[in-house]
Amino acid sequence: MTEEKIILEAQNGNRQALSELVKMYEQTVYNFAYKICRDRDRAEHTMQETFMSMIRSISQFSGKSKLSTWLYTIVSNHCLMMARASKKKFHTSFDDDDALIDEKSIANWNVTPDRVTENNELKEILDEAIKKLPPDYRIVFTLRDVEGLSTEETGNITNLSIPAVKSRLHRARAFLRNELNETFQNG
Amino acid sequence: MDKQNTTCKQVMHYICDNLGEDIDSPKCIAIKEHLNNCGNCQTYFKSVDYTIMFYKKYDVKISEEAHKRLMNHLGLED
Repeated sequence: MTEEKIILEAQNGNRQALSELVKMYEQTVYNFAYKICRDRDRAEHTMQETFMSMIRSISQFSGKSKLSTWLYTIVSNHCLMMARASKKKFHTSFDDDDALIDEKSIANWNVTPDRVTENNELKEILDEAIKKLPPDYRIVFTLRDVEGLSTEETGNITNLSIPAVKSRLHRARAFLRNELNETFQNG
Repeated sequence: MDKQNTTCKQVMHYICDNLGEDIDSPKCIAIKEHLNNCGNCQTYFKSVDYTIMFYKKYDVKISEEAHKRLMNHLGLED
């Protein structure tokens, strides 16, 4: 059965079809939620709330966007809501583009990305770096660079204009690169 | 952009598009001249590329227990 047909069945109250949709997208949603929250418990809670919202609102899904885009939107909103509730302060300033690129710190790295899958120490470094980014920057970076969505799709999901998406993406990339550079550069 | 067949012009379009600049503008021409001859910039862009790759490759798998808790939470147990 095609995804379109499964969604239609789910909209007609078919429990089996709903279950099928959850199984199709649980890994994507959990992975994306983890990448934003950087915490397994929070990612699981977000995933549960996201699918609960999907079940409640599936009848309103028009099919104009992809179901995955709709789910990314719910996850992003949930994560932003949790971040606001936690009132965590982010001390890094992202307003000064010049400060984000320090010419003196440009160096070759002594590690390659293929090592990340089996290296827990490396994962901790990546987690700590991205946690310093404000949630809206983290969401834009993850949607565009990690999940591979277009600038337009990212703008629709985050409710940001295209220039705002580009500016957050540029700053997030430069910030993360600088954070990792301190650990990975030679010498 | 196709990574295997990327041309300098495509890279320039990409950078200049993000800057809101025309490809033949003086700013873009100056950037092209600089990029062609700058090892520092090439090293910098490689480290940005690696940064993205690190986060792309870092996936987490949902556990069987988390899957069961989800289906239970939604009232969709098998």
